[in-house]
Amino acid sequence: MNKYFRSRLAIFIFAFPALALFTTFVIYPLIPQIIISFQRHDGYAMQAWVGLSNYIETFKSGSFWLAQKNTLIILALQTFIGLPISLLLALVLDRQSEGIKRFFKAAILFPAILSVTVIGQMWIAIYEPQWGALNSILNSIGLENLTRSWLSEKGTVIYSIAFAFTYQYIGMNALFFYSGIRSIPRSYFEAAYIDGAGFFQTSFKITIPLLQEVIKYVLVLSSLGTLGLYALIRVMTAGGPGKLSRTIVYEMFNTAFSKSQFGLGSAIAVIFVIQCIFISLIISRYVAREKIEY
Amino acid sequence: MRIISGGFRKIFFIVTGIAFFLPLFWMLALSLKSKSEVYDNPFGLPREWLFSNYAEVLSKYNFFNYFKNSLIYTVATIVITLLLGSMLAYCLSRMNWKANKYIIIFISMGLIVPVEVVMIPLFMLIGQLRINDTYFGLILPYSAFNLSSCVLILYAYLRSLPKELEEAACIDGCNIYRTFFSIILPNIKPALYLQVVLIFMRVWNEFVLAFIVAGPERLRPLQVGLLSFFVSIGVSHWGYIGAAMIISSLPTLIVYLIANEQIENSLTASTELK
Repeated sequence: MNKYFRSRLAIFIFAFPALALFTTFVIYPLIPQIIISFQRHDGYAMQAWVGLSNYIETFKSGSFWLAQKNTLIILALQTFIGLPISLLLALVLDRQSEGIKRFFKAAILFPAILSVTVIGQMWIAIYEPQWGALNSILNSIGLENLTRSWLSEKGTVIYSIAFAFTYQYIGMNALFFYSGIRSIPRSYFEAAYIDGAGFFQTSFKITIPLLQEVIKYVLVLSSLGTLGLYALIRVMTAGGPGKLSRTIVYEMFNTAFSKSQFGLGSAIAVIFVIQCIFISLIISRYVAREKIEY
Repeated sequence: MRIISGGFRKIFFIVTGIAFFLPLFWMLALSLKSKSEVYDNPFGLPREWLFSNYAEVLSKYNFFNYFKNSLIYTVATIVITLLLGSMLAYCLSRMNWKANKYIIIFISMGLIVPVEVVMIPLFMLIGQLRINDTYFGLILPYSAFNLSSCVLILYAYLRSLPKELEEAACIDGCNIYRTFFSIILPNIKPALYLQVVLIFMRVWNEFVLAFIVAGPERLRPLQVGLLSFFVSIGVSHWGYIGAAMIISSLPTLIVYLIANEQIENSLTASTELK
């Protein structure tokens, strides 16, 4: 057996196809991405080297900053409202009977298994101004003055989309937290229970501190997912009204694929990568600094 | 916590859980209503159960073509990812290769490169390789982007398998290729099965890459076809929209009913990669 494990041919045959595919489609494109960001490029051929002017133009563009603002609003809502709710659901769920757990886990994961096209269209129906669910509920409880056309007003569109996005992934994040809680040895909870600790004490003093690594993982995953938000916006508003609900990725794709300014789009992409790396670094710097061993 | 009694909590979980299913039931009800009933009876059960919406949607909306395309993309991606992924994972876990450590770091980079980041060069690359009007235009990038988590999970699984398995096969005169296909693969079936479920869910529901890369109508998968159907209907006939949604969600709903526990497990298994 060892002669095979050392055989260069066997190593090549087993490793090469996967590495070649992975390198070609995942890693290699990062290189042209950076190069094109310094060019004027129409998607087929380079027209000119333009130095930093794509970056300068991007930073001067109002729609880029609007897209940044929208993305950060959604990121903030998802991180500071969505994730705490997921964590709370996971903490409370851990104390329920098996039957309730089974049903509830299946229910909250359900939106995440539907496609974004279906979820987006569902929320269009919920926000529909005349007969949509949200306005109908507001009308029936006597809050007529709060009804509005949620997806076509400047003040509400981005929050409406953020809510739909949070709805889709709240259950998945709760399950991530829940599986983390399950992997904490039960004896910790039993000890806390014997000492008379209640739900909040146990959660804040034991569960959450021991859950740090999972919290970090979910934070990174959810931040990167939120920063890359495109599909839901495309389905629900197509960036509208006007440019008001565009996110960074929407702006990037629109610049490259609709306006055929691939250089400018690549510059946005490079800025976006730097943002993603920066946010991941901040999270790993400030969350879960010590490794926990049970 | 004593204020919130057990019974109350039970009700809370049941009500919240139902709230997550509710929008789909609403769509199901809409799908059975006529064009005008949607406006004057949006929430009740349909006054008249109109199954004709489904028949009309199937004739107007090229569902079977989109469905076939989605099926091709999903099955091909699963086969390629699992075959190449398990081979690489096997090589990393068993063979004496000095580069092992670096390859694992390299492959892990795939977990943090979102596909949106490389969409522009990827779109151009697929054009340059002249696979933009074939099924491979989506199958190859899908497989590549699914490789990372597949390799890392299978690698972790393979390392927990005893080496005696192969030694026995070796004594019986198997070479490494036969050992891999007839001894190793059957032994990692549970891990492979979880990967199948996970990749199915990801590829079947994938939208962004498909929307940008799958150019000609005949190659579009279900999710992109569904959006162009919605756009062509506008907001004029919600009966059709509801019916198209239900038809398009059926495959995932069926898989979810059969394998929801596996889906939960395969999602949460990825937290082990942190």
